[in-house]
Amino acid sequence: MPVNLALGHASNDFMIAALVIYSLSVVAFAGDFAFGRPRRAVTTSAAREPSAALAAVGAAADGPAAQGPGPGADGPAEGLAVTDSVPEPAPPPLRAVRQAGPWVTAAMALGILGAAAHATAVVTRGFAVHRPPWGNMYEFVTALTCVAAIFFLFVMIRYRAWTLGLFVIGAVVAVLGLAETVIYTAPGQLVPALQSYWLAIHVTAMTLATGIFFVAAVLGAVYLAVGRYSRRVAAGRAVPGNPIVGRLPGMEQLDRLTYRTIVFGFPIWTFGVIAGAIWADQAWGRYWGWDPVETWAFITWVIYAAFLHARATAGWRGRRAHYIQLLGFASLIINIAIVQVFITGLHSYAGIR
Amino acid sequence: MTNVRAPEADPFGSPAPEPDGQPRGHLTGGASGSAGWLKWAWRQLTSMRIALILLFLLALASVPGSMLPQEGSDPAAVQQYFTSHPALAPVLNRLGLFNVFAAPWFAAIYLLLFTSLVGCVVPRTFRLAGSARALPPRAPRNLSRLPRSASYATALDAGQAVEVAARVLSGHGFRLRRPGGASEPADHWLSAEKGYLREAGNLLFHLALLGVLVSVALGGLFGYKADRLLVQGQTFADTASALDEFHPGRFVTAADLAPFTIRLNQFTAAYIAAGPQRGQPASFHAELSYTARPGGPSRGYDLQVNRPLSVDGVKVYLIGHGYAPLFRVTDARGQVVYDQATPFIAGSSGNFLSEGVVKVPDAQPQQLGFTGVFVPTAVDVGGILESVFPAADHPVASLIAYAGNLGIDSGVPQSVYQLDTAGMHRLGAAPLLMREGQTLRLPSGQGMITFAGYDQWVSLAITHDPGQLPALVCGIAALGGLLLSFMVRRRRVFIRARAAGHGSTVQVGGLARTDASGGFEAEFASLAAELRAAHRRPASRPDSAEGK
Ligand code: HEM
Repeated sequence: MPVNLALGHASNDFMIAALVIYSLSVVAFAGDFAFGRPRRAVTTSAAREPSAALAAVGAAADGPAAQGPGPGADGPAEGLAVTDSVPEPAPPPLRAVRQAGPWVTAAMALGILGAAAHATAVVTRGFAVHRPPWGNMYEFVTALTCVAAIFFLFVMIRYRAWTLGLFVIGAVVAVLGLAETVIYTAPGQLVPALQSYWLAIHVTAMTLATGIFFVAAVLGAVYLAVGRYSRRVAAGRAVPGNPIVGRLPGMEQLDRLTYRTIVFGFPIWTFGVIAGAIWADQAWGRYWGWDPVETWAFITWVIYAAFLHARATAGWRGRRAHYIQLLGFASLIINIAIVQVFITGLHSYAGIR
Repeated sequence: MTNVRAPEADPFGSPAPEPDGQPRGHLTGGASGSAGWLKWAWRQLTSMRIALILLFLLALASVPGSMLPQEGSDPAAVQQYFTSHPALAPVLNRLGLFNVFAAPWFAAIYLLLFTSLVGCVVPRTFRLAGSARALPPRAPRNLSRLPRSASYATALDAGQAVEVAARVLSGHGFRLRRPGGASEPADHWLSAEKGYLREAGNLLFHLALLGVLVSVALGGLFGYKADRLLVQGQTFADTASALDEFHPGRFVTAADLAPFTIRLNQFTAAYIAAGPQRGQPASFHAELSYTARPGGPSRGYDLQVNRPLSVDGVKVYLIGHGYAPLFRVTDARGQVVYDQATPFIAGSSGNFLSEGVVKVPDAQPQQLGFTGVFVPTAVDVGGILESVFPAADHPVASLIAYAGNLGIDSGVPQSVYQLDTAGMHRLGAAPLLMREGQTLRLPSGQGMITFAGYDQWVSLAITHDPGQLPALVCGIAALGGLLLSFMVRRRRVFIRARAAGHGSTVQVGGLARTDASGGFEAEFASLAAELRAAHRRPASRPDSAEGK
């Protein structure tokens, strides 16, 4: 079926709009750092950091929402002098965003608007070419950044990690900008090797997992930067009280957020590799042949598995584990940017000629 | 107990963070000499740190396999590498770097890794399974020290409060433990635990990986791979002699081949004709007729990329295609000594400019040979023939003729795609350029050649892999195990009630081991709220509260 050019143009326009709106969102996130209310990122789990929990029996340490007695305090037990310390449910997302201040409210609104434009661009491209819109490198990158943005907006709302938006949405802007300028590919048809419903299954999984690992990599980089700063402070080589670090979530929490992000992405990557093997069997007559692209998907998988083990190995948690996950992400990038483009194999995916 | 650092720091008595890679336990007494050393080596091998190192090694060892051409996937490229790097290639070859994934050192890494896996995961699982059959431990004295805790007041007395909590928690599927016997009459507590499937998931995952390895080995030993190039109109039977390439597994012989026959009736390729993607293929169809066994009924099949033919447990794939120009050669005596389609191979330049060789051993008085190109849509660009489109819209053949001795009888096997011109001399300086249907006279009266037209050919891959289904099953099991171990959290909830005023004070504590996907804090909050509500409901089933 021929490409629908009008929809193709609409898709391009939405993509540019997304890029502009994301950039404004990044500006607003930066504004929160510069002018926002003083605040440490509060999450439902941060409210009960284990260290806090040691001291916090009965203390109203449950975050900003735990002011005053809980709703159940007027039960039959009135008159008893025991402070009720049942954790309160977190405030609903919209209220939490508003509580975070006008800069964050604006940044979130712009971020969501940008993601909507981005998703519209991806979907209209799909309708323009009559297939899942991740059939070449450009489409893959625009789709994975869309996954990263949407996934991260969810994470940010769920864990109230507003200050991280600057870094993740900033990275999305950078990568999407590169995609638009360097590897833009006009909408087109696929070669027969890619004409299969396994494209929808396998590449969709790979796109989702890559978008999620992208978020984890940015969080890992923030973790390492904060850790480096704290070590420099401890060694007397940096002034304590950096205002940016002061507004970021704590190390423990960054670590846990990253870990959960990878735990979410890893099974999807595993599924994507299995689906790819099934497709390879359909197309080439073997489910695994150590084609360069397959080999690098395997390397990536093994490195992320090493990350998961590192967290259960004394001396390897924390900093070293984050180096491992960044290595995993680097191998993913090598696969996309170098192996698929420059090393000849059976995969005819890149679409860059 | 200040070491409750994070929920992961593990009070479950299970193996999360190992003390800096040192083997657990001591090597004292009894085990001396080599036995002690072996035990030490085994403990090292099955430690988490070695697993980590082996995982890294596995990733690292795979890298050269993607950078250098590999025997398994592209032997021609390996040959090419030997020609272009004559000094380096033999060294790399000795290191097994042209066949990384079959190299002994690569096997050593993954075999050690899997040994480590069995030695580590299986005993851990037994330990944890043992703890899963046991009751949860007694509630600690001070629940507020646990990672999650809550407290509130209730009008129920302490015994009733524990009763009610037990009902709520067992309703949620927790396994319960209460103070035993009369030894602790004034102690009102309750331990509850849930999520035993986590370890099962972890074990399933790791064992399924082992299963994948075994399945791959199975396929290597009992399966086979074969290739066959088939020109339009030709038929072949699946026998070892009819196959161009046959790579049987160790336990496969030619007699194990499935006895089907395949005929290629017609091959059609469609290409995008205009626009920026001009020349890109849009679809391939190979119309086949096949019989599953000799004398059986003949059936048709439209073979496509991504649509293999399955016959008798064997799969046939369309993996390539090309042109086979038809040449008719008449020798100096006027005899037609060659009249057939000759497969030419497309280069990598796109647009199917294809190269090939014609050998005419029966020509008299001298044997004839030709090398040349087939150009499907030819244009003349400054005296050089180029193909501007992959379909055969304006086919042209350009050949260089040789006469002399083809060297076929020398006993050394020859490739049909290469002409050995050592014993031949070239006829004429200019190449023979022919349009479809054109006939040219060969120089020095050696005869005539006609470019009569062209056929198309397909290359088929024929594979049989008995490990395929087991590998898929194991892959899915691994994924299931992974999800189980990530989504199930093993967690404990403790209750203590102490008399206070007219009622009692209830303390709730919670603890999760590796809460990978998060959410224990939310679960704990809602459990605590539910317990509080149950403890404040005025008439909460007096019958059972009375029982105590
Ligand atoms: C083929 C090599 C291996 C791969 C790809 C692999 C992969 C994984 C993955 C993805 C996980 C996380 C899932 C979970 O928590 O259940 C995991 C966990 C685990 N693996 Fe492996 N593994 C391998 C070998 C090993 C070996 C050799 C050992 C023992 C030395 C081991 C011990 C463990 C343990 C104990 C856990 C649970 C960690 C925890 O409690 O968080 N694995 N493995």
